[in-house]
Amino acid sequence: MNLHAQNTLTEAETALVNGYSSRFSDLPGDADVTVRRDEALELLKQGLPTRRVEAWHYTDLRRLLSVVPDFKPVANAEAVDPLIENALVLPVLNGAAHGRAAGPEGLTIATLADKLQEGALSAEWLTASDRFDAVGAINAAFVSDGYWLDIAEGAELSRPVELQNIHAGGQVHGRFVVNAAAGSRATIIERQTGVGDALASSVTHLDVADGAHVFWILLQEQPDDAAYLGQFTASLGKESSLTLFILNSGGKLVRQEVKVEARGEGSEFKLRGVNLLGGETHCDVTMVLDHLAPDTVSTETFRNVVTGKANGVFQGQIRVAKIAQKTDAKMACNTLLLSDDGGFSSKPELEIFADDVACGHGATVTDIEKEHLFYLMARGIDEKTARGLLVKAFVAEVIEELEDETVIEALEARLVDWFAEHG
Amino acid sequence: MPAVQETIDQVRMIDVDQYKYGFETLIESELAPKGLNEDIIRFISAKKEEPEWMTEWRLNAYKRWQAMEEPSWARVSYPKIDFQDLHYYAAPKNQTGPKSLDEVDPELLKTYEKLGIPLREQEILAGVRKQGEPSELDENPSDNVYSSGRVAVDAVFDSVSVVTTFKEELAKAGVIFCSISEAIREHPELIQKYLGSVVPVSDNYYAALNSAVFTDGSFVYVPKGVRCPMELSTYFRINERNTGQFERTLIIAEEGAYVSYLEGCTAPQRDENQLHAAVVELIALDDAEIKYSTVQNWYPGDSEGKGGIYNFVTKRGDCRGNNSKISWTQVETGSAITWKYPSCILRGDNSRGEFYSIAVSNGHQQIDSGTKMLHLGKNTSSRIISKGISAGKSQNTYRGQVSAHRKAANARNFTQCDSLLIGNDCGAHTVPYIEAKNATAQFEHEATTSKISEDQLFYVMQRGIPEEEAIALIVNGFVKDVIQELPMEFAVEAQKLIGISLEGSVG
Repeated sequence: MNLHAQNTLTEAETALVNGYSSRFSDLPGDADVTVRRDEALELLKQGLPTRRVEAWHYTDLRRLLSVVPDFKPVANAEAVDPLIENALVLPVLNGAAHGRAAGPEGLTIATLADKLQEGALSAEWLTASDRFDAVGAINAAFVSDGYWLDIAEGAELSRPVELQNIHAGGQVHGRFVVNAAAGSRATIIERQTGVGDALASSVTHLDVADGAHVFWILLQEQPDDAAYLGQFTASLGKESSLTLFILNSGGKLVRQEVKVEARGEGSEFKLRGVNLLGGETHCDVTMVLDHLAPDTVSTETFRNVVTGKANGVFQGQIRVAKIAQKTDAKMACNTLLLSDDGGFSSKPELEIFADDVACGHGATVTDIEKEHLFYLMARGIDEKTARGLLVKAFVAEVIEELEDETVIEALEARLVDWFAEHG
Repeated sequence: MPAVQETIDQVRMIDVDQYKYGFETLIESELAPKGLNEDIIRFISAKKEEPEWMTEWRLNAYKRWQAMEEPSWARVSYPKIDFQDLHYYAAPKNQTGPKSLDEVDPELLKTYEKLGIPLREQEILAGVRKQGEPSELDENPSDNVYSSGRVAVDAVFDSVSVVTTFKEELAKAGVIFCSISEAIREHPELIQKYLGSVVPVSDNYYAALNSAVFTDGSFVYVPKGVRCPMELSTYFRINERNTGQFERTLIIAEEGAYVSYLEGCTAPQRDENQLHAAVVELIALDDAEIKYSTVQNWYPGDSEGKGGIYNFVTKRGDCRGNNSKISWTQVETGSAITWKYPSCILRGDNSRGEFYSIAVSNGHQQIDSGTKMLHLGKNTSSRIISKGISAGKSQNTYRGQVSAHRKAANARNFTQCDSLLIGNDCGAHTVPYIEAKNATAQFEHEATTSKISEDQLFYVMQRGIPEEEAIALIVNGFVKDVIQELPMEFAVEAQKLIGISLEGSVG
């Protein structure tokens, strides 16, 4: 489309493109991988998407991604404490995978760098999904390492696995692949954080095979001056289920994409998310959910708290294919907008081609209910405390649905931390 | 109306397309040559005896239009329109105000009869009864000129306004209701002040095109403190072949005024597509209220998706004054493609916008419609109720935007969009944009998509009601919230229209 042809690249775009030539020799991969990386770079040369691109309507990446820092090959990134004590930690530190520990029974661990070097990856690998898949393209061009996990058929992992993508400033581009074979069961935690001014990207491919059940927790807690571009893609087999929990609390510019395909009959997807937005963060969660088989069920709930000059975005698109009869899809996005300097935009879309479905979405933006506040204050609680209680209760509701006590406790602790910092 | 029932029965019998306004009226008419250029615009302007500033205004719009690109973001697909292959002006000949029934072209008369415009109005249209005289059909004939249930009509045939009824009576109340061409000649000060003030010339591709070539439409001015004594109404009809209809409507409600306005649209059945690109501007000043209702029933194309009207319309209301209110109600059953977003700019403090919509699509129709509620003033509120019904192979999209700006303290919105799917070859889509930039804003949006449940259908059918009627009954229940917002005279007609639109959707 000539509409989007950009003659001159911005400073950040130029930095990205130039970064590739200096970084190229250090990147792993066989000849095939190199071809894909080059293709991704060609996309970047055409410029980053602007708000004229519908998928980026509320996040003008070209304008917002104003600075692209240099790589810092010798920076010393350190792994963080796991969310749950007994988890197996697999860290990617400053772009290099460091965990070589043996996993629990049924889990095979490989590093992504090794896989890229071995080659023989399927064709859609490292390929941007379209011209405006900026996250996919940036990651494909620069990805240096990550993990590739295979969970054996019928295996139930005895302890959670925690994948960490940690930076110490500069740029990091990680990728995780998890294949949960038929009938397996696993809990996986993904951490995205670091220290300093950075551009971090991460792409995750999750395959949940027939009858497998995965519980995935994604914690994005970038420092205030980091840009984070994340993409989580999952494919669900027959009678399988995926529960995905996302917490966004941090980052200067955050784009978290979630692309889920319910391919198998009777599969179930549950998404719960909390966005705690303070300071000057711009946080965009964009979800595309495809119901591609009959009798699939999905529920998505996002709770957002916006303070300071933060700006939040939720774009959620549910697409129901003609074949996907008896789909039951429900999506809700509730926002507490607590500051006049902040903003929240949501675009919950339904695209439905099957007639025998029950789909719905709801979206609200509001301040705290006066009645609720009055109720608490009438009991002698001062306004500030009362407000705090109500805001916490608003987000805690989503977390409490998660059923796993250890996880709920760990996540609630993170809430307490955030509220302590942002009042 | 027995005529309507008869038509339905006939349609059923011959079992073809369900469009009942598909007749063509053979009236001699005057056509401008095909194509679009500055000369055509000057020609239209000259035909309308417009002042120089108006011609310039049009030419400016044309220049801007040339620099614009056709929008492609809507979920509709159609072959590229050749804007040079259209007549931009068509007018029935001999239409210098009929004085008696004999002078009215009988074909024209028949047209209105077929359109089902209430008899009383036909009388007026035909000029048999003098304006302001009570009709025998009035239940309570008296000297009360403000008797309810009366409707003043402006009939637009192709490019020109044929006749406007009840003008004198309205004039008594100070209300101006005339064709826009007349208003440009008679009330230039109002036109210059308000035309293009809500939908600027270069607002969008079709609005720019309309500004350049609009041929007629209605003009309403309700002065300060006046409650318009009757419903105002315009019937638009495209009759001529290969014409585009570009009408322009401007309604101004001064401080404390109230007006209720209804438009109805139909077109003959043809194989080729016809373009309709209208612009409607509403302006409500302090404490004023405008209620705008549309029953859009342009020819939707045949069962193969051939022909039909492309309906690309820009409608926008500006709640300019404090405590003003604008309410849009639309029943959309026609057109091959609809691209239409009646919007409200809630500029005045405490102003209110409402949007009630029923969009029915069948056959190969494509609808991309919705609304925009832009909250700018303090304590503004808006309400959106949208009911989409898709059947056949149609695609029905709701696209809407609700936004609260930084200064829009206490903005309040409630949105509900429900879609109903009948059959599994159709699609229903919802694309809302919700944007809040103020902490005191309170927005609620909910949307559902479902089909008519078997239980509901069984419940009705076991009482001996055939399936098709049962569906119509359930659908009418589904759309009740919106139908209630229509002026009473048209609610019944709208209900029937929905029933007809859905015929043939079962099985």
